[in-house]
Amino acid sequence: MALVELIDVHFRYAGSEEYALRGVSLEAEEGEFVLLVGPSGCGKSTLLRVLNGLIPHFYEGDFRGVARVAGLDVPKTPPHVLARHVGMVFQDPENQLFLSSVEREIAFGLENMGLPRSEIRRRVREVLELFGLEELKDRAPYELSGGQQQKVAIASVMALEPRVLAMDEPTANLDPISALEILSLVSRLTREKGVLAIVVEHRLELALRFATRMVVMDGGRIVASGDPRRVVLEASRLVGFPPVVVAHQLLRNRGLIGGAPPLTPEALSEEILGVIGWRR
Amino acid sequence: MSSVLDVFRFRRKNTPLHRLDPRAKFAILVLFSAASLILNDLASLLLVLVAEVALLAVARSAGEWLRSLKGLSMLVAMILALNYLTLPSNRLFTALTLALRFICLTTAFSVFFLTTAADELATALEASGLPREYSIMFTMSLRFVPSLARDLQTISDALRCRGLELEKGGLRTRIRNYTYLLVPLIVYELRRSLMIAEALEARGFGALKRVEPYVELRLGRADYAAIATSCALLALTVALRFTSLYEAFVRLQLSIFGEL
Ligand SMILES: Nc1ncnc2c1ncn2[C@@H]1O[C@H](COP(=O)(O)OP(=O)(O)OP(=O)(O)O)[C@@H](O)[C@H]1O
Ligand SMILES: [Mg+2]
Repeated sequence: MALVELIDVHFRYAGSEEYALRGVSLEAEEGEFVLLVGPSGCGKSTLLRVLNGLIPHFYEGDFRGVARVAGLDVPKTPPHVLARHVGMVFQDPENQLFLSSVEREIAFGLENMGLPRSEIRRRVREVLELFGLEELKDRAPYELSGGQQQKVAIASVMALEPRVLAMDEPTANLDPISALEILSLVSRLTREKGVLAIVVEHRLELALRFATRMVVMDGGRIVASGDPRRVVLEASRLVGFPPVVVAHQLLRNRGLIGGAPPLTPEALSEEILGVIGWRR
Repeated sequence: MSSVLDVFRFRRKNTPLHRLDPRAKFAILVLFSAASLILNDLASLLLVLVAEVALLAVARSAGEWLRSLKGLSMLVAMILALNYLTLPSNRLFTALTLALRFICLTTAFSVFFLTTAADELATALEASGLPREYSIMFTMSLRFVPSLARDLQTISDALRCRGLELEKGGLRTRIRNYTYLLVPLIVYELRRSLMIAEALEARGFGALKRVEPYVELRLGRADYAAIATSCALLALTVALRFTSLYEAFVRLQLSIFGEL
């Protein structure tokens, strides 16, 4: 069974006329890095909320369809149980960090699970090490840089050892370098820990290189899904072209280069260097 | 706005006072605030203030306190002026005493809040039997005070940019102007609280009424010493306050002030 399985999911928020999700079906496995994109208001955040049970448990409305995560039936499983299987990271670090030290922040979710203190200690130590946060463990989260804060936010949901990591524009408040750092950290979690990451991200030029799959939404539906190299061309009307793809297209139209578009400027340069026969 | 609230804004530092258990600091808070309330003369209140400032110095927080005192200076001046103008006798002495009492009280609270993290306090409250929901509610309400102050600033700046002058006009225009401020602020904070609630759910909050806290609170020797000293000093203050010696001490100060 797939780790995440949505079949024909519909959802309408209470008090709103329109359905925010209209027949979404999605299957995803462990180890995938799914990049979820689409125009504003197309239902990306709503889709993520289904994964950790905020919909239909926290947000009221009409829910139809099948949603299973880690073998659990979402509408029948309380959010605090789903929290152990799906970690959710939001755009704004300020509203998801509550405590006076990084160490306590990471311990918070573990406390909520009712673990004994010795076990909490062990996991906090592990997570601090995994994320390279040992030096910062006594610092207050609000004293940290945006990138560090977002790292702490990820660390504190990963402490619950979820198999799915859902992220809603996690780098929107970060500079490009910190954003790359966060995304490559997530990519590492998918490769080393087999985590399934589902990441909403507007900046394709940063995120595309890490994606193993790209899913495009429009008007509450999934309109494209698959290999990022293919999907990025198919869905350009909705998501625009990243510059590297434009450059590749121009070269290809002149017959200078072939194949699918590369996902990073580095890869394009390699290709060009290959074509002109440059050797290191 | 934010500068006044800064009196109560915790900053992590490694000083003997910061290391004290929240319950011990609570004992100190009780001592100082009770003393400020029952003592009724300038000299004793000055003594209280000196003791408080000494503790702030130990906590390396005197700077923050002094800065925030500037924000309160208007209020102090008002207490001073109103009492001086309306009291029948001993006007200067009583007005000064009341203003000083106000300063002593706010300082007592700033000693506590500048050195105690909201979540430490919450852990202590939980240890004394408060359900987790309430202790988290308490942590959150302190945690988001600076955010609220900043949102307020952002909105009033935005309104000013559009030419709304908040501090101008008669009472009625001002009230109307403040509703312009309040409506977006409420919308803003509702949205924020929704995001906070989502993040709490995502961290599995709300399943259990009682959990084993990560940080183990244990009263150490210094904590017991602080609690014992606070209790002893409080008993001493109460005892001295109701003797004829204290009355004589107050009369002596009054005679110095004479007819003023
Ligand atoms: N809490 C809510 N109550 C009612 N309607 C909502 C709520 N949240 C979102 N919607 C509506 O549901 C639709 C999908 O919104 P959603 O937030 O999922 O979009 P999104 O793809 O995340 O957009 P963005 O890129 O702007 O974050 C929108 O029409 C939005 O107005
Ligand atoms: Mg969104």
